[in-house]
Amino acid sequence: MKILVCMKHVPDMESKFKISTDGRWYDDGDLAWRINEYDEYAVEQAVRLKEQLGDSDITVLSIGPERVKEAMKKALAMGCDRGVHVVDDRPSDRDAMAIATIIAAFARGRNFDCIFTGMQSQDRGSGQVGLLVGEMLGLPAVSTIVDFSCIGEHNYTIKRELEGGVRAVVEVRGPALFTCQLGLNTPRYPTLPNIMKAKKKELLTVPVAELAGGGNLQDTVRLFFPEKKGGGMLLEGEVPQLADKLIAILKEKTTVLA
Amino acid sequence: MNMLLVAEYRQGKVLGNFHELLAFAAQLQGQPSLFVVGDVNAPPAFPGRVYIADVTTYKEYDPSSHKKLLLEAVRREQAEMVVFAHSSYGWDLAPRLAMALGAAQISEVTAVIDGDCVVPACNSKLRRRVKSLSAITVVTLQSGAFSAQAAQTGTPAVIPLEIDEAGPYTFKGYEIATAGGVDLGKAAVIVSAGRGIGKPENVALVAELAKTLKGEYGASRPVVDAQWVEHHRQVGTTGQTVAPKLYMACGISGAIQHLAGMKKSEFVVAVNTDKDAPIGEIADVMVIADLKQFLPVLTEKLRMV
Amino acid sequence: MIFELTEEQNLIRDMVRQFAETEVAPSARIRDEEERFDRALMFDRLAELGLTGIVFPEEYGGGGADYISYAIAVEELSRVCASTGVTLSAHLSLGANPIYLFGNEEQKQQFLAPLARGEKMGAFGLTEPAAGTDAGGTKTTAVKDGDSWLLNGTKIFITNAGEAETYVVFARTDKNAQKHHGISAFIVEKGTPGFSFGKKEAKMGIRSSPTMELVFENCRIPAAQLLGEEGQGFKIAMKTLDGGRIGIASQALGIAQGALEAAVNYARERKQFESPISRFQGVQFQLADMATQIEASRLLVYSAAFKASNGISYSQASAMAKLMASETAMRVTTQAVQIFGGYGYTREFPVERMMRDAKITEIYEGTSEVQRMVIGSALTR
Repeated sequence: MKILVCMKHVPDMESKFKISTDGRWYDDGDLAWRINEYDEYAVEQAVRLKEQLGDSDITVLSIGPERVKEAMKKALAMGCDRGVHVVDDRPSDRDAMAIATIIAAFARGRNFDCIFTGMQSQDRGSGQVGLLVGEMLGLPAVSTIVDFSCIGEHNYTIKRELEGGVRAVVEVRGPALFTCQLGLNTPRYPTLPNIMKAKKKELLTVPVAELAGGGNLQDTVRLFFPEKKGGGMLLEGEVPQLADKLIAILKEKTTVLA
Repeated sequence: MNMLLVAEYRQGKVLGNFHELLAFAAQLQGQPSLFVVGDVNAPPAFPGRVYIADVTTYKEYDPSSHKKLLLEAVRREQAEMVVFAHSSYGWDLAPRLAMALGAAQISEVTAVIDGDCVVPACNSKLRRRVKSLSAITVVTLQSGAFSAQAAQTGTPAVIPLEIDEAGPYTFKGYEIATAGGVDLGKAAVIVSAGRGIGKPENVALVAELAKTLKGEYGASRPVVDAQWVEHHRQVGTTGQTVAPKLYMACGISGAIQHLAGMKKSEFVVAVNTDKDAPIGEIADVMVIADLKQFLPVLTEKLRMV
Repeated sequence: MIFELTEEQNLIRDMVRQFAETEVAPSARIRDEEERFDRALMFDRLAELGLTGIVFPEEYGGGGADYISYAIAVEELSRVCASTGVTLSAHLSLGANPIYLFGNEEQKQQFLAPLARGEKMGAFGLTEPAAGTDAGGTKTTAVKDGDSWLLNGTKIFITNAGEAETYVVFARTDKNAQKHHGISAFIVEKGTPGFSFGKKEAKMGIRSSPTMELVFENCRIPAAQLLGEEGQGFKIAMKTLDGGRIGIASQALGIAQGALEAAVNYARERKQFESPISRFQGVQFQLADMATQIEASRLLVYSAAFKASNGISYSQASAMAKLMASETAMRVTTQAVQIFGGYGYTREFPVERMMRDAKITEIYEGTSEVQRMVIGSALTR
């Protein structure tokens, strides 16, 4: 089976973000980068599928500047077989449709049987790219999956996460695409022997111009910090005094201590 | 502007969240009509056109046929904007429709400024203002961002829709997460643990405070995913939605998925070391402290009240 | 000269850090409090991640990585739990490495490979009541008896003792030889008749790592388990300790790094006089010194590890690395406790444990005084 995993390199969300000088995205200097959390589940699911079926081949693709190679190495050490780095210094300038176009252009004609993506990125968060790739390639696509089983070669039983603790059970026949929700599995650590093996795996480089096509359908006007809504009270200081103040407030404003 | 609002139908009912879509349409002074794959014999009350496709034929989940039905409705309605809730139904269907229409899709809209949409970025730490460049725009709205309009009255002008379709998806039904012994919905006080508790042992600090306040303890998604707390205690879009008299968020940064599950609480206290955590936007009181120090002291003092 | 880790080294750091933070750190405090070794976590998991044989070639079940990777692994484990760090260091540097360096092919296949794969745990028996720093004072004896050796004596302060399956033990085989020459090394397996464990030490720090006595009473060892040549024991011990120092230096480095991070985080949160104490220059200067000393230690440790991996003599380099890193760990953890103030003195915060853990790094595998001797004698030779 030929498997494709798409992943994005994103800043650690605990970082202190600064707005870039053009005001349209965050400044990407001085940030710690990691694999988009949702995509780690996608990588793990791909590797599990390969382990289940044997005789499979996993390509991991990422679009971005030089640094995304770090993330791809980790995916290779987790069990992907080859990396495809689509070199693009400013992927944040592209909208979801433009990113999906690049991925679809790569996948077209390569006959992937199964494609995994994260359900969304932690930074942009549009949740569109995976589904758009599915549409562009004419593949069935199931989003927000929290349970995945492959029965036989190409039959999948999927659970989608809905609201309020409800899941929808869906069956599709491959080739197909899946967007992975948090908690789908437990992503593995790349073990030391696999890190050593990853060194020898192929990491292809493709200039983005070879795959990109069409412009954006939407434009980021600006990125900004939300205004703090007033009203909330900020308590700071020593722990015992904080506790006393909070108890006084709860007595005054709520009935729970009555 | 003609706007097509997409209502959701689940487990035999039209979900109420289309009232939020109506509020959005009203804010943009659009002319709304409704689309739903539902019960053709029981259209939702609405004073306008309702496009209905039969759910027994097209199922509650079949993005392939639903997309084609929607395309038909968009064509007939000459809609310039298609509006979904940003829900498991909306975010799944919206990009597919946008692709077919060659339209921009803008996800999780929280506000509109001068015709541009505002959406969250970086786990809600930032906001992004986005302009659509296409003739038709597809949007999904963040749950709760536009306060729902009152229940609608009036008899709709029903327009039935049909297409020929045998899509690749087989919807087998629903699975309800097995509820545990705890009904957070009934608790007057909920103390919830977030990622900031650091390690599983600290769940005990939260549970102890909850017990002292005669309430229950809950958790945000990361804590449940790490299996530190059982799933039936999860608060948020994928867990339970709660509205207690007092909600204490301990070490919870305030991702929108969590806020959606608790923001109707009467009084919200957040305990966090990060003054800038988004939970501060809805907290009535924000205590800046390390919960490992603060919670035991608070619990002890409450015992003496 | 390139001051940059390779991609593999970075990936190994990320992996070990993630493992250490999610799996090891949560129980570090309680294991210390209960003086409990958790083999499933502190050794078996390391084996699953391929860490128990990092530096050995793949044909002996190892990972084929370099000493810098090993140093990074011990550093990252020790950053959250010094006991887990020393478990790996004692197993790999002291238990397995002498077999790799001095064992014959059969011994490597039989004893090194299971150690490298982490199926068995290793330990090292050198120290005796009368022979600590002065290894030449070894009193344990081994007497040739047909095709085997009879061991008698007691070893003390043995890390991993009781838990480990494979021990490299030193005994005097020639009473008449000059004191350094009559010592030989043996591979002894747990369960051998006549080999038992004495008392478990109640320690100040690294309390989740077991430290016990080894007792040999007419313990019969097959001649095939003599490691290296008869009389080569002192050399084996010294070569082994050269490598061990990299492990302990890395442990010290990790402890110091953990304490610095805890202190920085605390200083940012803690308010006095209505300002985070991190704004006070006095605190900033302390943190700056701590960070600078740690970075200097790190360079020495990685430089010694680089030499070890590249066939360059590293005896002096590893002594310098251990001296610097362990004294830095003691100083930095003490300062971290000071920055935490009263809270730092309680067991609620990890810096108290780190300070207790740091002390041993100035003592075992050669005290700071011994390191100075090694460096000084090399300088004045």
